[in-house]
Amino acid sequence: MSRLAVAAILLVACTVQILSGERLERLLGDRDDTERLLYLPNGKYLRALSMGQSALLADAIYLWAIQYYADYGREDRYLLVEHIFGDVIAGLDPQYVDAYWIGALILTTEARDLDAGLRLLDQGMAANPDKWILPYLAGWECHSFGRYEQAAEYFDRAAAVPDAPAVVLRLRAGMTAEAGDLEEAYRLWLEVLEDPRSDPASIAVAERRVRDLRVRIELAQLQSIVDAFRNRYGRAPRSIEELVGNGYLAEVPLDPSGEPYAIEDGRPISSMRLLGGK
Amino acid sequence: MSLPVSMSRPEVAARAQPLPGPLHAIVAIALNTFREAIRDRVLYLLVVFALIVIGVSHALSMLTVGDEEKIIKDVGLGAISLFGVMVAGFVGVSLVFKEIEKRTVYTLLANPVRRWQFIVGKYSGLLAVLAVNLVLMSVALFVVLLLRGVSPWGLIPAIALIYVELTVVTAFALFFSSLTNPILAALWTFCAYFAGHLSWSLELLRERVDGAAARWLCDAVYFLLPKFDQLNIKREVVHGLELADGHVMLATINGLSYAAVVLVLSCLVFQRKDFV
Repeated sequence: MSRLAVAAILLVACTVQILSGERLERLLGDRDDTERLLYLPNGKYLRALSMGQSALLADAIYLWAIQYYADYGREDRYLLVEHIFGDVIAGLDPQYVDAYWIGALILTTEARDLDAGLRLLDQGMAANPDKWILPYLAGWECHSFGRYEQAAEYFDRAAAVPDAPAVVLRLRAGMTAEAGDLEEAYRLWLEVLEDPRSDPASIAVAERRVRDLRVRIELAQLQSIVDAFRNRYGRAPRSIEELVGNGYLAEVPLDPSGEPYAIEDGRPISSMRLLGGK
Repeated sequence: MSLPVSMSRPEVAARAQPLPGPLHAIVAIALNTFREAIRDRVLYLLVVFALIVIGVSHALSMLTVGDEEKIIKDVGLGAISLFGVMVAGFVGVSLVFKEIEKRTVYTLLANPVRRWQFIVGKYSGLLAVLAVNLVLMSVALFVVLLLRGVSPWGLIPAIALIYVELTVVTAFALFFSSLTNPILAALWTFCAYFAGHLSWSLELLRERVDGAAARWLCDAVYFLLPKFDQLNIKREVVHGLELADGHVMLATINGLSYAAVVLVLSCLVFQRKDFV
């Protein structure tokens, strides 16, 4: 065969290949590939077929899922998030922590479905009880949705993991205070002070919080005494000494800075500047 | 007189001298097999491709959100395992067949070399090749990880068990290549590989089938198949999970003894093979 003929065949073949490729791209470009997601079987079955390469297959699907869900142009991008991250990827590699938190992040932050996100994180926690990061993230997600009690429970779980950092202990105590349980928060901040995991920064924060909470708790107790006084005399006490004089208090109570509490406009006050403006 | 194509001069020299013991014959054949396999272009292609894959894993890891090192370790261990199996399968099945096809086996067996020595020598030579490949690929993976400041040493038990798996696959390749042509032998070897990875499913099947005979059959097949899933600890080492005490040692003993049984069967088959 002459060189000219070979060159001609090559030219024709390349042209046909490029043109048909472009047409094929156009044809398939608008195709809805949701079906591909839908028919991706559970990771347990894929694992059986992976011939010992389940972690590698999990990585491949995870990378593909990130590209898929990062496409903000998709109308149905929240469809099957739990299936892909929870059943398929985590089914292939139950220790793949990233799959749980990225799936949960998509569900909570973008789809605004906290319960679905928490289901995924709970699944991750069940498979990885030694990973504090999953309950920690669940705590933050609950916090962002204003579910402080649930957040405190998750931070509590995170803090129970042996290698959880000091910040988890702080968050657990802080979230309990946000939920309104001041006595429990006070107890938890004292725990932070005593915990050997606490670093100097955590100890400094805990000392401030303990003082702050003590004042808030004592102010709340004084407020109930003031209310009792008001019920009996039909007016608010004029000073803290009046409460002592009428037998409501044994002596004038002092706040953690050593200054006496006072009564102002019928409300107990402290000279200390409270954290959070309270 | 011209030399047979696959024979090198040192090999001829080794054959010309009387062999003092069975080990010397095995070592001579193993060395020749090693040299022959190292010269094989297919081998180079596979190893270079595996090294590229390990290198590319670094780029691949940049596509992820989260733990990039996990991707590198998974891709690296996956490449070591898959390319190792391919080398063991494709090179292994051609070893015996090539000698028969080129008729060098006649010259070889005319010397004071027993047939089992020939098979064990071939097997040992290929295992040496696989060991070199494994070390090359592991070093590439370790370098990639060390450059990122990640300790790769925890992966060593998984790589060791990959090698044990390769010893079994190589034994199967030799066994089937003693029985049939390379294409069928490769097909059967990869079937054995797949079956070995699915052997655990027979335990599940056993619980679902009715009848003692069916359960006995499940037990028998399960007993006969290699348990490659027990040699697979890639996920565990990547995640730093604790392995059961003695897992690596027991799995190694189990795998090597299985390979020994298949190798003995290969020797028996080759012993009875009629070359005429």
